[in-house]
Amino acid sequence: MRMSARPDIRLEGVAKSFGAAGRRIEAVAPVDLVLAGGQMTALVGPSGCGKSTLLRLIAGLDAPTEGRISIGAETPDALRRRAGLAVAFQDAALLPWRTVEGNVALGRALARKPRDPRAIRDLIALVGLSGFGRRRPAELSGGMRQRAAIARALAGEPDLLLLDEPFAAVDALTRDRLNAELPPLWEARGATSVLVTHSVAEAVRLSDRVLVLTPRPARVAADIAVPLPHPRNADVLASEDFRALCSDVTEALRVHQFPQSVAAQ
Amino acid sequence: MTFLKPTRRLFLGGALSTAGARLLMPTRARAQTAVALQLSWLHSVQFGGSYIAQDKAYWADAGLEVSLLPGGPNAPVEPPVVAGTALVGISAADYTAAAVNQGAPFKIIGVAMQKNPFAIASLPENPVNSPADLVGKKIGMALANTPVLEALCSINDVDIEQIEVVPTQYDAAPLVQGQVDCLLCWATDLPVAMESQGIESVTMLLADHGYAVHSQTYIATEDSLANRRDQLVALMKGEVMGWQDYHADPEAAAALTVEMFPDAGLDLATQTLQAARQVPLMFSALTEAEGFGWFTDETVAANVETLALLGKPVSPELWDRSILEEVHG
Amino acid sequence: MTTRRPALSRDPAPRAAARSLPRGSGPLLVLLLWEALARATASGFIIAAPSQIVHHLATHAELLLRALGTTGWAALRGFVWGNLAGVLLALAAVLVPRGERLLSTLALLVFCLPLVATGPILRVLYGPGAGPQVTLAALAVYYTTFLPVLVGLRAAPQGWFDLVRSYGRGRMTELREVRLPAALPYLVAGLQIAAPAAFLGAMVGEFTGAERGLGVLTVRALRALDLPATWSIAGLAAAVSMLAFAAVGWLGRRLDLAPPEVLLAPPVVRGRRAWSGLAEAALALGVTLLVWKGSMAVFGLPRFFARRPEDVWSYLVTAPGAGAQRQRLFAALGETLVLAVPGYLAGLLLGAGLALALALRPRLAGAVIPLSIALRSIPIVATAPLIVWALGRGATGSIAVVATMIFFPTLIACQHGLARTPRAVLDLFAVYDASPLLRAQLPAMLPAFFASARMAIPAAILAVTTAEWLATGRGIGALLATVASTSDYGMLWSAIALIGLASVLAHALLASVERRILSRTSAEQLAR
Repeated sequence: MRMSARPDIRLEGVAKSFGAAGRRIEAVAPVDLVLAGGQMTALVGPSGCGKSTLLRLIAGLDAPTEGRISIGAETPDALRRRAGLAVAFQDAALLPWRTVEGNVALGRALARKPRDPRAIRDLIALVGLSGFGRRRPAELSGGMRQRAAIARALAGEPDLLLLDEPFAAVDALTRDRLNAELPPLWEARGATSVLVTHSVAEAVRLSDRVLVLTPRPARVAADIAVPLPHPRNADVLASEDFRALCSDVTEALRVHQFPQSVAAQ
Repeated sequence: MTFLKPTRRLFLGGALSTAGARLLMPTRARAQTAVALQLSWLHSVQFGGSYIAQDKAYWADAGLEVSLLPGGPNAPVEPPVVAGTALVGISAADYTAAAVNQGAPFKIIGVAMQKNPFAIASLPENPVNSPADLVGKKIGMALANTPVLEALCSINDVDIEQIEVVPTQYDAAPLVQGQVDCLLCWATDLPVAMESQGIESVTMLLADHGYAVHSQTYIATEDSLANRRDQLVALMKGEVMGWQDYHADPEAAAALTVEMFPDAGLDLATQTLQAARQVPLMFSALTEAEGFGWFTDETVAANVETLALLGKPVSPELWDRSILEEVHG
Repeated sequence: MTTRRPALSRDPAPRAAARSLPRGSGPLLVLLLWEALARATASGFIIAAPSQIVHHLATHAELLLRALGTTGWAALRGFVWGNLAGVLLALAAVLVPRGERLLSTLALLVFCLPLVATGPILRVLYGPGAGPQVTLAALAVYYTTFLPVLVGLRAAPQGWFDLVRSYGRGRMTELREVRLPAALPYLVAGLQIAAPAAFLGAMVGEFTGAERGLGVLTVRALRALDLPATWSIAGLAAAVSMLAFAAVGWLGRRLDLAPPEVLLAPPVVRGRRAWSGLAEAALALGVTLLVWKGSMAVFGLPRFFARRPEDVWSYLVTAPGAGAQRQRLFAALGETLVLAVPGYLAGLLLGAGLALALALRPRLAGAVIPLSIALRSIPIVATAPLIVWALGRGATGSIAVVATMIFFPTLIACQHGLARTPRAVLDLFAVYDASPLLRAQLPAMLPAFFASARMAIPAAILAVTTAEWLATGRGIGALLATVASTSDYGMLWSAIALIGLASVLAHALLASVERRILSRTSAEQLAR
């Protein structure tokens, strides 16, 4: 019954718009895409371009206005219904009445996985929150909350991991550390992953492929493969290839974010 | 779930359960039939005769198990009697007339207060001794009683426009505080309360000024009169015996009342005073001759006349003496 | 200035009284003044002296304790049933969003039923015993729990629901993991408001013909001009209510509830069609009539005092004399509205204003909260004479009675609402040494304020009708009292129907104002 743990994500003519008939806002223009199974794909683009909307469509949290999404042989809804995916939300979305442990455990419970206090403790240690397991979210810093949210997403052992700007509120040092420590976690799971971020370096460092999106409505402006070796250690990050890829992505972003300034040149 | 339990009874209906009890009667000798008497107010010596009947087992001896249901500020007597929860209710001719005009199938089967207890209470410095004294005064009263004042004025040719009506709660405070000059109240309660507090007052009984309305009347539905006569007779018989005892010794009735209802917050001195005050209203030459609760065509005619003034036209048919005739006969 | 923020955002509970005077001297001074005032006015029978009250309590301890036990037990049962009903109704409204309007309307209508109608019916249904008291206590609390819990069940950011949905879990999981925990602080607020209301409901329930209890003793004491007794009972009722209030608050703090911070939901853009509103109204009307007629038929209530919808229709429209009866009814309603509307607004403003004032000066809570509870838990029949004596029988007295009845729930609800202001926002204002009152705390308070404004509609009606019955002798309240005593049940039920209709209309009006304002400040409350 269980399909491969590395499902492809297939978007066929997917578009999304909001609002009543009079004032429709087009968030995502029709997109055709295949995101390969087992890969990490990064979506980058200016704020408000529709990256998060696209992520929500893949998660099945919103339905596309047009087109069709399939994940492996399933619809996003079907995948969701068997708890095959997990989302790490932009604002962490930790439940304030649960402790860190409680929130991470909730990730397993919601995914209908058996209780496993050891696994929970290991995950909490992995995201660097040892000693904070009994704390409430209100007692944590923004970065700690997002690490807890990532631990919760991983706790359900998903086939598809969707990360919506998970490090937005994390300080630079911690972010760097998380960028180094977390990839092995989902690489080991072999899950298909999608990361929404507006950090170019993060996108290149963490992903196998970067999709640069245009301002609203979102379109794929550039599709840049990241053929860097794993693990992406200091050597890789210091390499010329890494820097070249980063500037490619930055250039694609710049061109599409400020078309007027480009035209003026 | 205990609080839901009583609801089950309503599907069976109060009448049904008493019918059930009646079915058992032939098999068990002296089996008690459960009936209820709905009182018109909280427990007090106002119903002293009923307590005596209960205490001396006058009803039990007649095979009747009577529960005495207290009334209250928000407990009209008519609904439980119409619904059959109570076999008999204690009302007054004017209330009964109003209910009958609204379609209730009542008959008055006995009259406890021959003289209406309504009175105008005032302070000695500024007394109201006759209806004419009301002119220019502020009278405190429950608005529901406006027809009573109207009838009094009409009988005694007083212009009601000359009296200022102040709506008050039913208590003596507005009079004592000087908010009003007099109160429309029962002679047996607020003046008694004032006396207990050491305040002297003047009372003018409306009954002494042409206001003829039977009070503390026993009402029953036509249906009960047709189908539950024996119960009605037994109940009224107990009442008559109880009130005869009361007449003989009102003080004992007051003591019994205080003893039977320790939770009612009653005070023996006040109850004794009230017990004495209601004797002249309940017992008269008529009851001396014919027995407690009696009424005649003449008293009924006087009532019909006053009730017409109150805007509650009734026919003398409202009164039905057949139960009393069986009791006394 | 520096202590203001934490005290407000952490702990809305009563604090110790102001400490400007030597410890303990304040209450003593008040007692002495009270005693002196009572003795000076003794001949007027207006207030009882503390010494008289103590004497009465001491000499009637056993009687009062028994009565307290009776009333307290009925109140407790009513509290449990009423709150249970309120929570279940709120759950139903959240689980079946399409039915919410209908449920809210029915809940409001039942809450609006005046005591003069429900009392006798309940007594006939239950017979002797505590049934009516328990039911009236439950009826007095279910609505004030239903509304805040409904608000609470929705007071969660979209992200939490997305989280649950992202695991493919449905409404039940959403309810268990998100909505119920988010609603708990609101439930505590509801329960706190319910505690004095349940006690009052049980006391007033005894007016329907109970054998014993504090309500019975109140009636007796009022009639007997027994001021020490009246004040002792009022004091007991107030003390029990304060204890219950404090106990619920303590329980809430023990549970260490984490109130959700202010929610940043995007404004809801909804294309509402006019006909859907009309269809909902028609449905609500239909169901109401059906429930009205059906329940009376099921319980076999005699038509004499339990009039059906068609009886009211004929009384007001088709029967001979309907025109005059209609005129009498509408005239009374007009007189009532003239008092009810200013009283309602005054009570709301007072409640919200006091909540804001307590946010600025938390120490005042020690004095204000107990007094507010006392005013809310003593039967209005006992307090009304005092208010009337102080303010007269004119409009001022009645407006004051209405305001007194509704400001307490508003105060408590707004206090809880204020506690939701996010720390970060408060810190922001602290940085600029600016008062966060208007720009941050007021918006955070709004959902709770509107919830209490809804609760206050039926409460205002109850209060104004009572004041009219006891003091002014005008309006619907006087009409109800008069017709109830003359068995004019046609008019009684017509008045009830009209009161219900007026409440629903007032509610709809309020809802449209609320929608307009909340769509900007708290959009999550409008998501259905």
